[in-house]
Amino acid sequence: MAKAKPKLAFYWAASCGGCEITITELGMQLIATGEKVDIVFWPCLMDFKYSDVEALEDGEIDVCFFNGAIRSSENEHVAHLLRQKSKVLVSFGACSHTGGIPGLANFYDAESILERVYDTAPSVDDSRGTRPTPSVEMPEGTIEIPTFYDQVLTLDQTVDVDYFMPGCPPVADQVWNVFQTILKGGLPERRATIGADAKTNCDVCPREKGEGGFRVKEWKRPHEVELDPDVCFLAQGVICCGPATRAGCGLPCISGNMPCRGCYGPPDGVVDQGAKLFSAIGALIDTDEPEAVQQIMDTVVDPAGLSYRFGLADSLLSELKYGKNSEEGEG
Amino acid sequence: MADHSSQAQTFAGQVRAIPGGEHLEMCYSCGTCVSKCMIQQKVEPEYNPRRLLHMVMMDMREEAFKSPTTWLCSACDLCYPACPQEIHISGVIGAVKQLAVEAGYESPLDAVSVEETLCSGCGICVMTCPYEAPHLVEKEVDGVMDRLSEVDANACMGCGICVAACPMGAISRPGVSNAEVKAQISVPKSNGAPRMVAFVCDWSLRADADVALLESYPENVRVIHIPCTGRIDPEMALLALHSEIDGVLICGCAPGECHYKRGTVVSSCKIGLLNRVLEQMHVGDGRVRFVQIGTQDRGRIRREVDSMLDHLAAWKEAE
Repeated sequence: MAKAKPKLAFYWAASCGGCEITITELGMQLIATGEKVDIVFWPCLMDFKYSDVEALEDGEIDVCFFNGAIRSSENEHVAHLLRQKSKVLVSFGACSHTGGIPGLANFYDAESILERVYDTAPSVDDSRGTRPTPSVEMPEGTIEIPTFYDQVLTLDQTVDVDYFMPGCPPVADQVWNVFQTILKGGLPERRATIGADAKTNCDVCPREKGEGGFRVKEWKRPHEVELDPDVCFLAQGVICCGPATRAGCGLPCISGNMPCRGCYGPPDGVVDQGAKLFSAIGALIDTDEPEAVQQIMDTVVDPAGLSYRFGLADSLLSELKYGKNSEEGEG
Repeated sequence: MADHSSQAQTFAGQVRAIPGGEHLEMCYSCGTCVSKCMIQQKVEPEYNPRRLLHMVMMDMREEAFKSPTTWLCSACDLCYPACPQEIHISGVIGAVKQLAVEAGYESPLDAVSVEETLCSGCGICVMTCPYEAPHLVEKEVDGVMDRLSEVDANACMGCGICVAACPMGAISRPGVSNAEVKAQISVPKSNGAPRMVAFVCDWSLRADADVALLESYPENVRVIHIPCTGRIDPEMALLALHSEIDGVLICGCAPGECHYKRGTVVSSCKIGLLNRVLEQMHVGDGRVRFVQIGTQDRGRIRREVDSMLDHLAAWKEAE
């Protein structure tokens, strides 16, 4: 009897669609893979409904790649559904893994976000005060839309996740590697990070740090400096998240002469990527004068946005604001 | 090697030949340096820069190399402005130490160590170390060449600034590893009294009464001793708040008086950034505070702890 093809599912929750693009970047390789697997759910590319997923047996999906953060009741509902129907659930991409860019919304609450978007933004001209309303009575019956949550959650804060695949987006080479591993068998121990390295970007970064080392008197933003493509960004006084970010992306930003933004998340053993990053930044301070400390520190613009650009939802900081997710996630 | 290692030269001549050692003979043994020294007061009664300088001039090479004074000086330089002869004493001691290392003697201090399987070679430790102890080296690990940090154990003073700075948590020092410090971050539930963790730099409190005071607090104030505030990683303060501890007080030396030169400056920058981050998230409320206690600030620790507890009580009330 021919071996049944593995059943795969792909889903996007609160995300931008970049994770889908990275999969299509596989091109002909993807088509070849497509012949070896059954895709049972992929809203971006194929016409399936939630009812198709509901009709599956529990655990019938072999591997589900779930990208996007949990931002609404719909995201949460589908996360639970796909968890139930999947043998292996992979948290795919930064939003699902650590909250990603949508996670930055945790700096605000839902009400102030809605107020901004539907009311005070300069481009809005709406005298009716329109707001998304989860439930509306109409002559035909009740119309419902998903509820917008106060807090952005990661997938793992919502359901139990088997593997984590970081990146905004995960680079195509790594996606291909993971597909191959799944087809051939040989996934590592459950709860491992896949499609990435163990150490940080500095481990693979070819930039020079200079013989005598360096410390920093002023932090500048990338657009304020003409950056030398061969020298460590930190040595040029520009904050790079590389020291606190897991390697595996192949350094596309750094090769493009832009500092690492941190999308691959923290390496193993680090609880809070942002805290580790500004701890390292603080350690580089170049002064003995107490008055200068404040001055140098003030040159770090938006330290929270910089350190937690992709990891805010997954940070201790978010848990401090919203309470511990172990209590809240399963809701 | 430079000619200072030549046996033909006197010990004093060799010390003088090393940059920093040139002012050796200006010492007239008044002992003012000893009276200023925190090491002599806190850890090693035998510690005595005046005597060490005298040993050098008397050609007592072996005795000088074995002396704790040679190894324990952290170049905090509290003695420097006090010396009537304006001798940069830590420079002279550094010259003696260099000769001791060349003669094969080893530092008795606990040095930090780097876990090679974790080190990513970012070099943050190299840049932040006040003593130039870590260096980046190309090294073969499991058959692969890798760029790693390697620590010169004789240069390391064990302050732990690099332990906190390492974004991989790859560096540790016995007694103050990440795991050992984190394990202490716990305060029992209390009946309404604010719960606080105080990280206290062992060098910042000069008076015995101030040190004794720390032992007298009830269990809602957990005192965690650290070698230097530079050892504090903001993640620890976050972990404390995260485990429902109301506030974190960090006590270090005043700028310019830091026992490990850079610790206070590095820590105030990190804690400053942490507070900005907490404010951006609207969870700050002054719950993490860094105080810098000067050599003349006897009794100040009591006021700082009380003030923090008052602040936290008011914060709890408002919550």
